[in-house]
Amino acid sequence: MYSLLGECRALWQARSLLWVMTRREVAARHAGTAAGVLWPYLQPLLTVAAYYLVFDVVFSMRLGDSAPTHAVGAFLVVGALPWMAFCDATARGMNSLVEAGGILQKNPLPPVLFPMRAVLASSVIFGPLLLLVALAYLPQHGLNWSLLALVPLLLGQLLLCALLAYALAILTAALRDVGQLVTFFLSVGIYLSPILFPLALFPERWRWVLWANPMTALVLGYQNVLLQGLWPQTAIWVALGVWLLVLAVLLNGLVRRSRDQLVDWL
Amino acid sequence: MNAKHVELPDDLVLRVRNLGKEYKLYPSPRARFKALLTGNATHRSHWALRDVSFELRRGQCIGVIGDNGAGKSSLLKLLAGTLQPSCGQIERVGRVTAILELGAGFHPDFSGRDNLYFGGSLIGISHERMRELEPGIAAFAELGEALERPVKTYSSGMSVRLAFALVTAVQPDVLIIDEALAVGDQHFQKKCIERIMAFRSSGCTILFCSHSPYHIRHLCDTALWLRGGQVAQFGATEPVLAAYDLYTRERQEREQQPLAIAGSCAVGTESGKKEHKANAADALHSPVSAMDGSSARILSVEVQDLAEPVDDQPGLLQSRNLVVTITARGRGAERPNIGFMIEQSQGVGITSLGTHEEGALPRQVAAGVWQSVLTFPELPLHSGDYVISAYLFDETGLVVYDEWLHCLHLRFVAPKLMPGLVQLPHHWD
Repeated sequence: MYSLLGECRALWQARSLLWVMTRREVAARHAGTAAGVLWPYLQPLLTVAAYYLVFDVVFSMRLGDSAPTHAVGAFLVVGALPWMAFCDATARGMNSLVEAGGILQKNPLPPVLFPMRAVLASSVIFGPLLLLVALAYLPQHGLNWSLLALVPLLLGQLLLCALLAYALAILTAALRDVGQLVTFFLSVGIYLSPILFPLALFPERWRWVLWANPMTALVLGYQNVLLQGLWPQTAIWVALGVWLLVLAVLLNGLVRRSRDQLVDWL
Repeated sequence: MNAKHVELPDDLVLRVRNLGKEYKLYPSPRARFKALLTGNATHRSHWALRDVSFELRRGQCIGVIGDNGAGKSSLLKLLAGTLQPSCGQIERVGRVTAILELGAGFHPDFSGRDNLYFGGSLIGISHERMRELEPGIAAFAELGEALERPVKTYSSGMSVRLAFALVTAVQPDVLIIDEALAVGDQHFQKKCIERIMAFRSSGCTILFCSHSPYHIRHLCDTALWLRGGQVAQFGATEPVLAAYDLYTRERQEREQQPLAIAGSCAVGTESGKKEHKANAADALHSPVSAMDGSSARILSVEVQDLAEPVDDQPGLLQSRNLVVTITARGRGAERPNIGFMIEQSQGVGITSLGTHEEGALPRQVAAGVWQSVLTFPELPLHSGDYVISAYLFDETGLVVYDEWLHCLHLRFVAPKLMPGLVQLPHHWD
């Protein structure tokens, strides 16, 4: 894990620059628009509001008994918003190194700054939105201890996105096809997760496929906390931990092998 | 990172030890991807630099020369820290600024000021420090109101000015310049060179990479010659440049030999003529003069008593004296300097002269038009074909405003038919 520690140290040394770059990235996402900083927040918020309106207000659709909740819209929102955050951070982080090629070739900066900037900018946008949704679900179960689980869940998602985005960014730098492939997986990934359908609806013998999606554990965790008012099951923490560990080991190897040539590939 | 900020002895600012840069060449990106995942080495190695060691002291000015592909750019990028060395060490103290390629990294949708603050944070200038520096940068870049406008509305010259003003806002300890000086209009080029000279005189170490031996000779006190990624010579400018010059000439001769055997002398002069015509035409319709009617350029180069060229043969000089009149337009009221070079038509340089070297001031013949008449009495050359080039410099002789390379061919027949090139001053005892 030595290479990964080196990257962490570089990030810590450049933390003030990282913050400047993150703010700038958020600003760049809405540069030139009249509504300005509202846009990055409005887009996911409007999508989520549409889910709620269509499924719960207009059609009043209901889920079966095995679901954690009965309102389809309420169920959908809890999984879809974290998934949007995950896709946004991963996709932007994955392309960040290739996009920053010009800057990296002219400025002596650690490459790790760029995927981290993309992931942090995404979390600056989606973090408050996730908390807002949590606030909206508060009346269902009231204040209870399980809400504290949101802190490790959100931090876990941030860490997961950071590791995955940096690993994919290095792979994309080596082979541009990775970007295309991952974009496809991000668009079908929502079907391989308990976001649209409760876990219980999936056939028993295919359920293991869902755990190949790194977001399954987190989505189940959010559903436990927000829909049922329960502390997430142990299996969720184990799956999250395994995913983080696997990604960290993989990333460590990628960083070590690409360290002295990464900028040449951009 | 192998580039370390350390305490160096004495007045050393940079120490490079056994530096090497290996480019791993993969047959395809797929192979690169596979190597990244499996760790198997399937690449061919190309060592752009190998075993490079040298030291720079405070206030030195180093010129880096070498053929294309000799590793100059790799060395500069390694020193600037944008590339990671494959082996060896770079130790340096203080701020290192690199002018590698200007204007990149600006976000087109943000204003010039916004880009200035962000660009500053990339090179280690904090927001507070930038507030102090901003007026100076704005004045130097001469953007005025445009600083508030998005960078996408800038002309290429404007963003280059802003970029140069930004990277040179803080005096560095080591300044790395990669032939980026030929940017902007003449007025801005002159300002750039003046700023670099000011850095130099206040003790900044400069590492300068150029194909122009003229600039290296004038700016640098030490030269580093790279050949095939290794240091061929490192030392005082003149001997290194002379050795490099000899090397390039020998190489050119080797390359031209097969041509000469094929009996292509006539072809050689033919292409020489074409080059001359093309150059003259370029100079007449140069984009600079089209854009900016007041820019400095050479107006004419005339040789007295020169017969008209016949067919492909150069004109015959019908006098014992060579009298060359070079007329040029200067920039504003500034008195420019005029340079002259005569070579054998096969390319061996004979004499280069410049008014600034000898304190021979060009004469003003009309408002802004300057003229120098250069006379070689009893031209001491032997019979042969010669070619003349003319140059126009600024007042200091550092900025090359214009050059007419090989603009005039002439044939000279010496009265005494002895073999050789030039009649040296001599006496018999």
